[in-house]
Amino acid sequence: MGSGSILRFMENEAQIVALSVMALVYALKLRWIFKKNLVKEITPAKGDPQKGARLSLLSIAMPWTMESMLKHPLRYFEFVIFHLGVTAAIAASFIIPYAPKLFTIESVMYLFQGITGFAFIAGAVRLIKRSIMPDLRLISSMDDYFSLIVLDVWLLTAFFGIPNKDYTALISFFIMTAFFLIFVPFSKISHYLYYPFARVYFGRHFGRRGVYPKVGEKNMEAAK
Amino acid sequence: MNNTENVQKVIELLKKKISRQAAISFGVCVHCGMCTDTCHYYAATKDPKMAPAYKVDQLRKLYKYYIDWTGRIVPGWVGAKPLKDDKDLDMLMDALYGSCTMCRRCTLNCPMGVDTAMLVRIGRSLLTSVGKAPQGVKDVCKAQYETGNQMAVTKEDYLETIEWLSEELQTATGDRGAKIPIDKKNANVVYTINPREVKYAPLSLLAAARIFYAAGENWTMTSEGWDNTNFGLFAGDDVLGALMGKRQFDKVYELGGRKLVVSECGHGFRATKWEAPNWAKMDLKFPIESFLETMTRYIKEGRIRLNSSVNKESVTYHDPCNLARSSGITEEPRFLLRQSVMDYREMYPNRADNWCCSGGGGAMSMSEYTPRRLEVAKMKAEQLKATGAQIVVTACHNCVDALSDLIKYYKLNMNVKVVSELVSEAMIIEKRIPLKVVAAEEIIRGSGERILVIDDEPDIVTYLTTLFEDHGYKTLSAFSVDEAMNKILSEHPDMITLDILMPGKTGIKLYHELRSKKELLNIPVIIITGINPVDYPQIDFRKFIYERSLPHPEGFIEKPVNKEQLLITVGKIFAHKQTAVKDA
Repeated sequence: MGSGSILRFMENEAQIVALSVMALVYALKLRWIFKKNLVKEITPAKGDPQKGARLSLLSIAMPWTMESMLKHPLRYFEFVIFHLGVTAAIAASFIIPYAPKLFTIESVMYLFQGITGFAFIAGAVRLIKRSIMPDLRLISSMDDYFSLIVLDVWLLTAFFGIPNKDYTALISFFIMTAFFLIFVPFSKISHYLYYPFARVYFGRHFGRRGVYPKVGEKNMEAAK
Repeated sequence: MNNTENVQKVIELLKKKISRQAAISFGVCVHCGMCTDTCHYYAATKDPKMAPAYKVDQLRKLYKYYIDWTGRIVPGWVGAKPLKDDKDLDMLMDALYGSCTMCRRCTLNCPMGVDTAMLVRIGRSLLTSVGKAPQGVKDVCKAQYETGNQMAVTKEDYLETIEWLSEELQTATGDRGAKIPIDKKNANVVYTINPREVKYAPLSLLAAARIFYAAGENWTMTSEGWDNTNFGLFAGDDVLGALMGKRQFDKVYELGGRKLVVSECGHGFRATKWEAPNWAKMDLKFPIESFLETMTRYIKEGRIRLNSSVNKESVTYHDPCNLARSSGITEEPRFLLRQSVMDYREMYPNRADNWCCSGGGGAMSMSEYTPRRLEVAKMKAEQLKATGAQIVVTACHNCVDALSDLIKYYKLNMNVKVVSELVSEAMIIEKRIPLKVVAAEEIIRGSGERILVIDDEPDIVTYLTTLFEDHGYKTLSAFSVDEAMNKILSEHPDMITLDILMPGKTGIKLYHELRSKKELLNIPVIIITGINPVDYPQIDFRKFIYERSLPHPEGFIEKPVNKEQLLITVGKIFAHKQTAVKDA
């Protein structure tokens, strides 16, 4: 089997199988979660739970609403770059097999490479911080380290694979992608599956009680 | 229960306690550490073990080991660990009881939406189920189960205090018809309180009564189900939580009350309004309001008028966590204070971002953790200091205690009050006389009862004896415990005010002796102390309030002495005594 055949297999059949595994595990996880009792509040609302939920979902894009994000702008910046890189790498895994012409446009290709490249750096910084900062080390498990390492390696393979020219780089990228699709549901990376639910429940709860959105913009100035 | 039984029970309960929200909060944490410095325990100590994620991970490890998919297959990979023995439970207790006030500051600052405080409460519920809780928490829970209120105040004591306060209200208003109604049918407002108000802080209850009177409210208190506090919230005990709520709700229904108003108590309001209906599964047909909302409404409706020039001292406001972060009450107290005082100063951060007073989550009842509590109060102390205010006002009696402690510990020159006290002081009645003046100088008059003042500081003795004599009491004084005991035995005083920290024998020892001798048992004692518990951990006076090793003292006043609070406490105790004599 030549490199071309391997690449074609990795781009297509392998990804479909891996995606199916991921979808199945996620479906089972969600089924398990939704079997759990949802605690509902009886007391009539003081605020607006729906507005709370909407704002809560968007809060990640509104760092000024949260003291923790405002106090640590560098961490927030790392977070944004890192997650943009992951999004770009996921997009690249579809663009390369299904819309390869897009990466023949140099500006698009460089944009994607730039994002994944910076995301790789952000990931490396996060890894170093997790390894040396006592408060982060204390709460980190093997999963925390390993997930970060393999994600960063994946971002690097995406960086080299995006020009869509080098077989080795592309095969590495798609092998990593397939591995990820199977690994992610069992790792901390699956947090994004829970994230929307967590934010919606949080927003509904605090929105209902009139706590969220928070009042007092001056706090944020003080936090700076 | 032995080790194995405890462990088994905790594991079984953990499996039952996981709601959808809890499972998601356990699963969504990515250990990003963004919550770390939002916690006052970490911010003050920089100890990584005080980070919220670390503390709740002590429980998350169990969740992962016994419940989570990956954790059950490859526990070491995700940091899952089994629960082995009581030692593990003790460590869990230190993390969840001793290092967290459930203030929810980390919750609001978590980018993922993890409700750490909810998880802490689940953890506490597991510990409570096997008796692993601080003694003070256990004692208060027991008192609430058995007597219906957290200070085990008897029904007779409670009713007598209300009756006596009614008389004070009549004197203050000059209206013989003014009274604090009990079990009045079809009232617009049914008012429930923190037992501290009836036991040690009647001034705030009198303030509320004056406000209801001035607003012309059709209100009532209740003979049962009057305690709005709820240690079920802190202990993770949903059964107690439901019971305490239901006692109040049932009474409102029985009396045909139209609204339940909860006095200034942070957790009491949160538990009564938001949590207890869920625990008791009661869809209530009447609204529940904080007294802060009630007072705000009265002002907006023109039912009471305030004169802010009465309160000239600079004032700042501390947001109780359970009001600001769990009940959305941040603007009402600010509105009230701006109407009541001349110089209001905001503290930063404020509202839902305010720092915890360090006494939340039942921490004031956990004498085991007092030194840690005071150490982490540093964040609050710095905030208070930066305002330069003379008075810190809050809307929670628990916060009052915690703030009083930290003010002493960090040597801040401040006093603590609750909002209704300032509103009451600023309230204008017909002749524009502030009611406070009437209360302090004219209401409280003794009839020659003899009070023994025990304190090693001559200035304090002079101050207290002068104050009592000016108000119609006779006084005796003693500067040491031995001298005091001689005078008690020879003079048989009608009441004792007792300082705790004295050279030689401490006031605590004297209190133990008084309560162990049958002939001295009936002499009422007011503890007056300015002691800093960290300097003298062996004589942690708050144990008297929360733990049940001894009967509560009849009064408890912190230095610097609030003259009004002291006089009203003395008056209340003598009124009870007279009733007891009449009954006998």
